[in-house]
Amino acid sequence: MTAAAHPTNGLDETVHQRHRLGILTIAAEAESADFGYLRDALDLTPGNLSRHLTVLEDAGLVQVSKGYEGRRPRTWVKITGEGRAALTAEIAALTELVRRHDGAAPA
Amino acid sequence: MADTDGDGGSDAPASLLSEIRRRRKDARSVRHAYWLPLILFGLVIGASAPFYVLPPFGPGHPVVWTSAASLPALAPLLGQNSTALTIYWLIAIGAGPYVTWLWYLRHGRQVGLMTPARGFVIAGVVVGLLCLVLPAFQLVPGDLMVRGTLPFLIVAAGLWVLAWAERSAGLAVVAAVFTGAALLASLYNVENVLFRLGWHPTIADMRFSTLPNILLPALVLLASGAGAYLVQRRRQVAS
Repeated sequence: MTAAAHPTNGLDETVHQRHRLGILTIAAEAESADFGYLRDALDLTPGNLSRHLTVLEDAGLVQVSKGYEGRRPRTWVKITGEGRAALTAEIAALTELVRRHDGAAPA
Repeated sequence: MADTDGDGGSDAPASLLSEIRRRRKDARSVRHAYWLPLILFGLVIGASAPFYVLPPFGPGHPVVWTSAASLPALAPLLGQNSTALTIYWLIAIGAGPYVTWLWYLRHGRQVGLMTPARGFVIAGVVVGLLCLVLPAFQLVPGDLMVRGTLPFLIVAAGLWVLAWAERSAGLAVVAAVFTGAALLASLYNVENVLFRLGWHPTIADMRFSTLPNILLPALVLLASGAGAYLVQRRRQVAS
C-alpha cells in the first residue's frame, strides 16, 4: 500500500476536530443553523463555539450571518458548497479507516 | 495530518462516525414539522367535498352538468366540474405551499434549524403549473382527470418534495400511501367498495356518491397529520 492511498490522507485537520465536524454535520442537515442550537447541541461555551466557527469561516467551509429578530440578536450558520464537499470527504475517509480496521482485526 | 491515533476515545474514527450519525438524526428530528402541512392539505381536500357533490337528479330533476366553460383554459384540470371548484383549487394550490413555507420559517426560527422549504414552494409552483398546462396539450391521461381529482396528485407531488426537503422516511411513507389514495380516487369509483360493504343509497342520495373519492385521501392526510403531531410533540417534550 502506498502512503498516498492511505485514508488518513483524506482527513483535513480543520474538519477532523470533533466539534467542528459536529458543526458541519448539523449545518449540512439544515438550510442554516442557529448559534444557540449549535451551542446546546455540541455542549460548547459561546466563546468556544465562536472560535470553531471562525476557523471554519476562515477556511470557507461555513458562512456566518448576524442579524436581529425583533430585538433579539441571532447568528445563523450556513454550510458552503466547499464545506459540504469537505464533510463528505471526511466521512468517506473515516468510513474507509473503519473498514480497514475491521478488515485487519483478527477473526 | 490529523490525529487519528485515538485510544478508542472520542476522536477514534468509529466513534466520530457514530457521533455524526447521532447528530444528523437529532437535527432531522428537530427539523421535522410536517404534521401541519398534512393537516392543512387534508382540510383543503376535505373542504373541497361540497364542490364534488353532483347536482340533484332523478324524477323531477333533469341532469344538468356544470362546466368550467367560463375558465376554459383550466377546464382540463378538473374535468366536468364547476368553475367554483376550479377557482377553489387554484387558490389552494397557490396558497397551500406559501402557508407551508411560512410554517417552516416559523418552526425553523423557533428550534434554530431552518428547513430548506423554499425548494418546496418552487417545486410546488412548478408542478402546479405543469399540471395546469400539460392537460391543455393532452399530455396527461384523461383517466387521471375525469373525476376532477388531479389536484390530489399535485398535493402528492408536493408531499414527495417535502419528504425530500425534510429528509424524512416517515413523510415518504405518508407520501406513498397518499399517492396510492390519490391515484385510487382518480382512477376508480371508491363508492363501489361501499356498495359492496352494504351501503345502498337512495336515488336522491346518489348525488353524494362521489364523496368517498374525496374523503378517503383527506382522511389519509388528516390521520397521518394527527399521528405525526403526536410523535413530533412527544419528541419535543423528551428533548
